[in-house]
Amino acid sequence: MMLKRMKLSTKVYLLIGLALAFLPFINDSRWFMFLMIQIFVFAIFAMSYDLLLGYTGIVSFGHAMFFGVGAYSAAIVMDRMEASFVSFLLGTLVAVLIGGFISFLAGMLTLKLKSHYYAMLTLALAGMFLYIAERWRSVTGGNDGFTFRIPELPGFLEEHRNFVIYLFCLLAMILLFFGMKRITESPLGRVLVGIRENDQRVESLGYRIMPYKVLISVISGMVASLSGVLYAISIRFVDTSVFDIQVTLDALMMTIIGGVGTLTGPIIGSAIINFSHHYLSDLANIHWIFQRWMILFGAIFILAVIFFPNGIVGTIQNKLAKRKTKKKQYDTTEKSLRKEGA
Amino acid sequence: MSESILKLESINTYIDQFHILQKVNFEVKKGELTVLLGRNGAGKTTTLRTIMGLNPASAGTVTFKGENITKGAPYQIANKGIGYVPEDQGIFYDLTVGENMRVAMRHENDETKERLDWSLDLFPDLKRFWKKPAGQLSGGQKQMLAIARSFINETDLILIDEPSKGLAPVIVEAVIDAIEKIKDRTTVVLVEQNFSMAKRLGEKYYILDNGMTMHHGNMKDLEQNEELKRKYLGIG
Amino acid sequence: MELIINLSINGIATGMLIFLIASGLTLIFGLMSVLNFAHGGLFVWGAYSGVFFFSLTGSFWIGILCAIVTGLILGLLTEVFIIRPVYGNHIRQILITLGLMLVLSELIKVVFGPNVLPAPVPDYLKGSWLIGDITIIKYRMFIILVGALIFCLMFFTLRYSKIGLIVRAGVMNKEMVQALGINIKKIFIFVFMVGSALAAFAGALFAPSAGAIYSELGMEFGIYAFIVVIIGGMGSIPGSLVAALLVGLANTFTAYYVPILSMVVTMLLMLIVLLFRPQGLFNVSGVSNK
Repeated sequence: MMLKRMKLSTKVYLLIGLALAFLPFINDSRWFMFLMIQIFVFAIFAMSYDLLLGYTGIVSFGHAMFFGVGAYSAAIVMDRMEASFVSFLLGTLVAVLIGGFISFLAGMLTLKLKSHYYAMLTLALAGMFLYIAERWRSVTGGNDGFTFRIPELPGFLEEHRNFVIYLFCLLAMILLFFGMKRITESPLGRVLVGIRENDQRVESLGYRIMPYKVLISVISGMVASLSGVLYAISIRFVDTSVFDIQVTLDALMMTIIGGVGTLTGPIIGSAIINFSHHYLSDLANIHWIFQRWMILFGAIFILAVIFFPNGIVGTIQNKLAKRKTKKKQYDTTEKSLRKEGA
Repeated sequence: MSESILKLESINTYIDQFHILQKVNFEVKKGELTVLLGRNGAGKTTTLRTIMGLNPASAGTVTFKGENITKGAPYQIANKGIGYVPEDQGIFYDLTVGENMRVAMRHENDETKERLDWSLDLFPDLKRFWKKPAGQLSGGQKQMLAIARSFINETDLILIDEPSKGLAPVIVEAVIDAIEKIKDRTTVVLVEQNFSMAKRLGEKYYILDNGMTMHHGNMKDLEQNEELKRKYLGIG
Repeated sequence: MELIINLSINGIATGMLIFLIASGLTLIFGLMSVLNFAHGGLFVWGAYSGVFFFSLTGSFWIGILCAIVTGLILGLLTEVFIIRPVYGNHIRQILITLGLMLVLSELIKVVFGPNVLPAPVPDYLKGSWLIGDITIIKYRMFIILVGALIFCLMFFTLRYSKIGLIVRAGVMNKEMVQALGINIKKIFIFVFMVGSALAAFAGALFAPSAGAIYSELGMEFGIYAFIVVIIGGMGSIPGSLVAALLVGLANTFTAYYVPILSMVVTMLLMLIVLLFRPQGLFNVSGVSNK
């Protein structure tokens, strides 16, 4: 019954999710599982980024701080307490609360100003967090970071721990995907898109845009913190690199390449970027340019902004939409012709 | 005196997706003061902005002194000899009165000096406050600065957008006097809502409504025509 | 006492360097409302080309000159190829200049090598003076002098020269400047090139005082410059100077007395300004922050 009421796209997404769940049975090598987990984690992170960039038109340069706060909160709580499910839940809760609080603060301070204020403030805040993580050695272990234990799984599941983490991250991605999709398709989401397109008009329609912007900033910060938690438990280690600007840039790139303003875009972007990270570092032995792949990264980025602003998913959607309207036009002309004939 | 200096033919202008000017036909004869009349939002300001190239027309042609300037950049159009006084006067607030004039000067030669002296005689206040930041001037003085600035270079045509807006009646009188003197030197196109001012200054009129030129003729005839005034200007 | 004077000199020198970068940024923003996040990249290119040509020719001044030329060329290329396609769209500007920033800092590693590059002080600026009990490092005084000189030069150019008036008028009302017959595109290129050259110049001056340079410096100083522009007020040169000196001094003093706060203090300054005076300390009429 439920299946019947679902939209086609929802069925397709669920089917893909199901297929991904069975992927480890085909290839269960460690590096592959690890790569896939990274893709899921960063897909969540990039989707949270797109909530800001694509759906509301807010540029954040410090999204890494939510990722980092999530990773450190979970790691520190699980390290200090006993590695149990309680500590895991507590760590997650702490991560989400701190992430939400910071984004609330940043949003209240700068979202009524021009876009670069938010970008600058988040960049500065992220820099501050990196600095604190480096200096507050007693808690964070400084640059060396620290490893921690995650709760043991009952029975035979412990033997297939990677698989469980794989499924867990996949499930998280799917749930968060549908959750955020729900938000973007709600009336709230439509107001947000209105803000992106023309905030004065939305304001003149009687909406106060600030609360919406702050709300989305908080949701985005919380989801990003969650992805940080998942990242930490997937590698059972945390160091200051989680606050690195590179983490933010990755999210930006995934969103732009995949498709701004679509939630599937960041997922595809995450897959592309993670795969290329993996293979480009192999290519470094072949040619020096691959060692300096940041140049490529930057150049692709510039070209994408100029020539390809809708990303992969956006471009495909536009094409499909065009074809649909064409088809519709064709249908109606055909109908009217038939009518005339009759 | 019947030589045409400016001609707009079937001008269409869009601002974003809004079709503001739908069909504007408009001709200015050399030496005549032409007034553009119409309700708020009729497209008067946009017409001036289209002439200046600030909101370029998507269709139609603008001809100035026999030359097609439709696709010209604002600075090129200005340099052909059109002065512009926008609705908000476009004063540079942090610059002094003198600096405002200097920014506009294309050459700093004797001819410019002559024109400057003439306009300072016309507006003695500008001379008095020469070194004062323009933002501190009164509304009327700002309007005078904007007008004086618009013909500091060799100018064949001046476009003035609602010079009486927001000014006290006494000041409006002074502005009318000044424009009367200016129109002896160059051709003037005036956008005006204040009909009493328009009828004192204007020789020709054009009425715009919904982005179209609806009516035109001699100002004197319009004064008599109560129906037109009621229909398009909401007066009479 | 000696300590306080030395720290002050240090802070003012740092402030002057930040001012040089920020002044270009603020003009570019005020006039063109372009957010150039690659501005710090020009700083680091200036630093590297200064050091490189200094060691190549043996002349510190040729090094400086080459840095300025590098800044001018990169500024021209950036304006034409990167900024022009994205005029009027802040989000795309932010993204594209960020991409450029990555390319610029990575290209440094390709051209000059990935390692930290030592940057010597020219012999005649080495050492220090002893005035009473106070030792004053020559090179830092040199930076302060040059910075003050550039500020005066900029200030008077903007105040009295025709081009300066046009630039200031453009910051207030771009459209009117065009309607007065001025080709604003030419002014844009000019300002962009001068702003870039200033950043490169600051880099070349900075290198010897730090003793060694690395490619990540661009990001660091770019962020400082942006913070200074926000604190000082978009489009204001005096605002940039005051804010830069404030940031420079606050940094140096906290780095000495409360090292743990040194990074945080700049952010705190920005936070306070954002809270109480979001338009910045000095506000140019016509430049909005909304």
